[in-house]
Amino acid sequence: MISIIGYYTTQFGELWGKSLYNLVKETIDKVLPEANLEKEQLGAVFFGNMMAGLLENNLHAGAKIAEILKLNIPVFRVEAACASGGSAFNLALNYIKSGQIETALVIGAEKMSDFSPEQVVGGLSSASSGEEQESGLTFPGIYALMAQSYFNNHKISQEDLACISVKNHFHGSLNDKAQFRRQISVSEVLNSPYVAYPLKVLDSSPISDGAAAVVLTSNKKILKKAKKSVTVLASEVVNDTLSLKKRRHLDSIEATRIAADMVFKKTGLKRSEIDIAEVHDCFSIAEIMAMEDIGFWKKGNGAKAASSYATMYGRSDHLVVNTSGGLKAAGHPVGATGIKQLGELYLQLTGKAEKRQIKNAKYGLAHNVGGSGGTVVVTILGN
Amino acid sequence: MLSPVKIWRRQSHIRDNLGKTGKILTWTKIYIAAKPFKKNAPYFVAMVELVGGRRLYGQLVDFTDQEPKIGMKVMTILRKVRQPSDEGVISYGIKFKPHG
Repeated sequence: MISIIGYYTTQFGELWGKSLYNLVKETIDKVLPEANLEKEQLGAVFFGNMMAGLLENNLHAGAKIAEILKLNIPVFRVEAACASGGSAFNLALNYIKSGQIETALVIGAEKMSDFSPEQVVGGLSSASSGEEQESGLTFPGIYALMAQSYFNNHKISQEDLACISVKNHFHGSLNDKAQFRRQISVSEVLNSPYVAYPLKVLDSSPISDGAAAVVLTSNKKILKKAKKSVTVLASEVVNDTLSLKKRRHLDSIEATRIAADMVFKKTGLKRSEIDIAEVHDCFSIAEIMAMEDIGFWKKGNGAKAASSYATMYGRSDHLVVNTSGGLKAAGHPVGATGIKQLGELYLQLTGKAEKRQIKNAKYGLAHNVGGSGGTVVVTILGN
Repeated sequence: MLSPVKIWRRQSHIRDNLGKTGKILTWTKIYIAAKPFKKNAPYFVAMVELVGGRRLYGQLVDFTDQEPKIGMKVMTILRKVRQPSDEGVISYGIKFKPHG
């Protein structure tokens, strides 16, 4: 049995005064006491980060983190675009399962706001295929292609999509660490400028700085000493084609379907038993596809479910989705997102989610996507 | 970074894709572009299925009077695709114009 015994996240947002490694150091300094752990008890560190090499000529993160920790242990940097955090977590889990170590620190971090939108958009597009880049597509553009395909195949309007952002901003207003803690209305979403038609600024997750960390252990003594813990019940990584055009379906993400089927099979849980989920809402359409592909909603029912706010805190009678505010409102420092999702589930399952606490939450699911669905990580936690 | 050699390597395949017809599978209009494309924004980009089933991405040109639609017929043409690199090498590639 492997458990998460501590979580910490920095503020997400435009953190001008802080560097990537300022944020990393902050998570290390805060998460270890949270887990009631001495750093010497760590066997390894896994670090999820996408763009430091690309944007700030900043690689060899393993050595830098060893320098911060003042430890001579293995530190691995993991890159899988926006699924870097979830992938780092999955690798840490399997490194522990292999018996190599008992306790791991998993950090995800990204520093994006130092750069212009064109530089960030260009940097993120490195996670798409060469042909996609050469055609002038951006990530919002690729998700817009999926949205157009979804619009063509199912009954849905831009208003329905807007409801996803409205819900996630409401959740963000309850999360002190979120980048946006302001509620928005459907008309504000609809009146915001286009990024890539039909997706608008308020359909899209922002450019963010932030870092998040969790501590994982299989050691019973350490687990007993921990203040609060949750169990990792299953975690699967599934890859698919880099390029959207090579996929059979353009209005869903097959890797999500496969990974979700695997974790549900492994845990023996039913979809209806999940109380909370953090799904990868990099764009509003992405949350709708995620909910259908995971199997929470029937394919094509997304519009109805979204516009009735079926998964909103205070409105839903069972499953609540993206209580952190999701990528949309909590912010999307890409390497950190996968860890923040798991951390949000940890807070909910241990009764520490304060203003947005879901009562008696027992099982939580995290869904982290890299690129247009070329990497998907799905994890189920239980208390 | 796009090296001149990479541009040359990519361009060696353009000939195979010229003068082909197909239909739009899905499309978007990019408003916020990466730097090499910023000057042309906003612009249309489509995923097109050629006759025979092969798929290509490319920008749409000559769509000034009409909005693209899924299923619309297009033809491939040769165009400059991005701002020249620092070395001044011009990138050519495939774009699509309305057909029939």
